[in-house]
Amino acid sequence: MAEVPRSFRLLEELEKGEKGFGDGLCSYGLDDKVDDIVEMEHWVGTIFGPGHSVHENRIYSLKIYCGKSYPQIRPEVRFSTRIAMNGVDPHTGVVNPEAVAVLREWKPSYTLMTLLKGLRSEMASPHNKKLAQPAEGSMFDN
Amino acid sequence: MAATKRILKEVERLNKDPVPGILAQPIESNIRYFEVYMDGPAQSPYEGGRFKLELFLPEEYPMAPPKVRFLTKMYHPNIDKLGRICLDILKDKWSPALQIRTVLLSIQALLSAPNPDDPLANDVAEQWKTNEKLAIQTATQWTKMYAIPPQ
Repeated sequence: MAEVPRSFRLLEELEKGEKGFGDGLCSYGLDDKVDDIVEMEHWVGTIFGPGHSVHENRIYSLKIYCGKSYPQIRPEVRFSTRIAMNGVDPHTGVVNPEAVAVLREWKPSYTLMTLLKGLRSEMASPHNKKLAQPAEGSMFDN
Repeated sequence: MAATKRILKEVERLNKDPVPGILAQPIESNIRYFEVYMDGPAQSPYEGGRFKLELFLPEEYPMAPPKVRFLTKMYHPNIDKLGRICLDILKDKWSPALQIRTVLLSIQALLSAPNPDDPLANDVAEQWKTNEKLAIQTATQWTKMYAIPPQ
């Protein structure tokens, strides 16, 4: 297989994201508040809280950073919406990559959609789905 | 692999018989990934600037078109903020008979002849239609600000 360079890989992901795909429970796009968007480093994501959990009917915003070596190197993720979850810093929203499977076991074939879906299933896991949550819609200062 | 052979042939020709004002070279170890420098055409607002692009030949090439985008910031109705280019031969009008050089020549021609009726950057196209003089002025300014000066 031809190795797809980072930028064309991200453009492909962007186009898919712009059209909207999957079940609509996770979505993402470029963070256009950033000046230098040509580099495609800064992204925003949204996760609809999984049902049968404390997150049901809540909407979570996230910030994702894809560095120069994405997808060989996993992206960095932080929640913008406050959340109580194992592996998420309660003060900053930063996701500890060693604490969630999708980042800990990251593969270059994974996409931003894989990432968001992985986080969503993590939110629904037995050790997360019953944690007391901050007020709905409150945000981290990031 | 037939596709690789064709790519090697194209690269050889690009080196031996380069297109005037266009430099295209494979990057490092990836024979399908090119760094491109394109001079703005004369009598266009891009004249006097050298623009950087990247080009990638997908696995399906030449059955599928190359993927190309500008890395230099451009003020042009058919080029968006990410440098993506709206050009028919990069989409539904692609034919395997076309090559890297024809694609790059078409992009250079697009710089000479912006098409605001088929826009990718809507705000730029609007400006082009309502006040062409100002649009051309802005494009000229951006060329000075962002493009590499001629060597």
